[in-house]
Amino acid sequence: MSRSALRCPGCDSSNIIDDDLYAQVQLVCVDCGAVVSEGSLADEHVEGSGVNFVRAVTSAKKPCPNLIKGLQRVKVICQTLRVHSGIENLSQSHYQQAYQHDSFINVSLQKKDVLAGCSVLVSCRLLNWPITMGTIGCLVDADLEMVGAVYREMVKILNIVAPIINVTDVMEAHVQEYKISSLHVPEDLAENPKDLTKRAVALVELAADTWIVTGRRPIPIMMAAIYLAWQSLKPTKQRLKFSLDKFCQIAKVNKHRPAMKRIAEMKEVLCKLGKEIPWVSEAVTADNIVLHVADVLQHRYTLLKRAQRSHEKAQLDNCEVSCGDSQTEDGGAPSQISDFVKETSNSTSVEQWEPHSEQGNGCDNTCTVSDPHGDSQQSQGPASNWGKRVLFAPPCVVNAKRRRVEQPELKDVTGDEEISDSEIDSYIRTPKEVRDFALNQKMLSVLKSQKS
Amino acid sequence: MDSSNDDALDIIITNVVATFRTRCHLNLRTIALEGTNVIYKPEVGKVLMKLRKPKITASIWSSGKIICTGATSEDDAKVGARRLARCLQKLGFKVRFSAFKVVNVLAVCSMPFSIHLVDFTKNNRPIASYEPELHPAATYRIKHLKATIQVFSTGSLTVTGPNVQNVATAVEQVYPLLFECRKPLREKRKVN
Repeated sequence: MSRSALRCPGCDSSNIIDDDLYAQVQLVCVDCGAVVSEGSLADEHVEGSGVNFVRAVTSAKKPCPNLIKGLQRVKVICQTLRVHSGIENLSQSHYQQAYQHDSFINVSLQKKDVLAGCSVLVSCRLLNWPITMGTIGCLVDADLEMVGAVYREMVKILNIVAPIINVTDVMEAHVQEYKISSLHVPEDLAENPKDLTKRAVALVELAADTWIVTGRRPIPIMMAAIYLAWQSLKPTKQRLKFSLDKFCQIAKVNKHRPAMKRIAEMKEVLCKLGKEIPWVSEAVTADNIVLHVADVLQHRYTLLKRAQRSHEKAQLDNCEVSCGDSQTEDGGAPSQISDFVKETSNSTSVEQWEPHSEQGNGCDNTCTVSDPHGDSQQSQGPASNWGKRVLFAPPCVVNAKRRRVEQPELKDVTGDEEISDSEIDSYIRTPKEVRDFALNQKMLSVLKSQKS
Repeated sequence: MDSSNDDALDIIITNVVATFRTRCHLNLRTIALEGTNVIYKPEVGKVLMKLRKPKITASIWSSGKIICTGATSEDDAKVGARRLARCLQKLGFKVRFSAFKVVNVLAVCSMPFSIHLVDFTKNNRPIASYEPELHPAATYRIKHLKATIQVFSTGSLTVTGPNVQNVATAVEQVYPLLFECRKPLREKRKVN
């Protein structure tokens, strides 16, 4: 190609062509062979538009593979629990939100797995699907504490207020775990899950009314209710002999140790109500209460009212008797009974913690009685006192642990202590003692001088 | 302190935590060797010194920062801290007692009635939270007082706050809410 505009400086010819030397651009005159101009290798004109280095090396932002795996895990958990699609979608969105938050973006993969479980849990709670944390813990293979910690953190970050699970709702799902139908165990031990659920739910409701459920873990309560329901639906000798251990073995569930205590507590409540059944003549004890459970549950509200009334009556009688004895009567004894709010009449004060049970001394029943027989109740302090006064109270109030009374340390004698008058008298000799003492001293000194 | 109710409640302070500075570097080895009632923890880098009267345990760091725990009142904490500073002075350090601050006060209180935690939580969402599977108490946090109250179904309360005044105010604030929930309601309602 010839360049018409340029002219060769040597021969002034206009016949100049592009004659590249390898990669270097050169304009050469045809006639004399002079190089008119050459391009610098450094300024080589690049084909295409210029691209920023950073943009050249970064690829398009792909979603984090762990996030994708996590979302998949959420889906699997939802499918295992057989929840509906609304819960699945909600839990996936919760998971995504929580995952990208600072508190969860850098945690271990196990914790992210637990987070998947917790997002399912929170969605179930929000959409009224009963499920316990224990179930989630099993599914993600983590202990309850870790699940709890992650759950609390997540709820705080996402600002969710989830309703608390209702034990009776969870009961049905829980009963399914117990392999106690006629397919799994012999006929005389088998029980229809529906009947079992119904009876167990009634037991749990009764327990809730009598302070056994509040503040306790739900699963041991459910286990105790199911065990008692199973026994009472067909109270044969064989079933009554079955201990909780054996029951859990045949039902193929893991036994929870607190369930034994719950059984005892429930039996106690049932006994208290069983006493009020008018058509039961023999004494109702923990052994034979199972036979009457059906009756108790059927008429539980009536029995509760009756029990309350007879308790109040018994208290009144008690009070009158002891008040009459010591002739100190505080008016208003009946008012103590239905009113649970009777407090000590000290002034509102912020006290130091005194090691000795000063509370016991300050405790002041409306029926203040100077009982000479040393009422042990009063010395245990106001808490257990009101617990023993009412018919039903949380079990740890009724059986209050006695606070270990610290032995008062041998305080260093400072010399500033107040000395009472009687004490002072014991330190000072009476005139007679003074005379005796003087006499003795004289005799002793005479003896000494005689010896020496 | 005037209360909204006639009956009285005893709030018992069980622990007061306070910090102060000695404004000088402390040689932990010297304290460990020459001090009385000390435990040296080289792996953590601190010395624990226990005082008998008032009953206080102090964690002493070499930077001169000291944390005192175990006191039963704010004054006790201050007295204990000063006594501790005096002990360190006697050991030979140029101690200047400064920046004393009560950091945390823990108190317990007992209501003479049971509390239905589910009702209490429902009435006070989202300030109250209750997870029966994790902890048997409902937690009630008062932001403006920076106090946390743990409410147990037996009626016991555990209150933590930055000072005694806040703790007392917190109890006064929460009392009417607890009073409402003291019995399970007779009508059919959620079980827990």
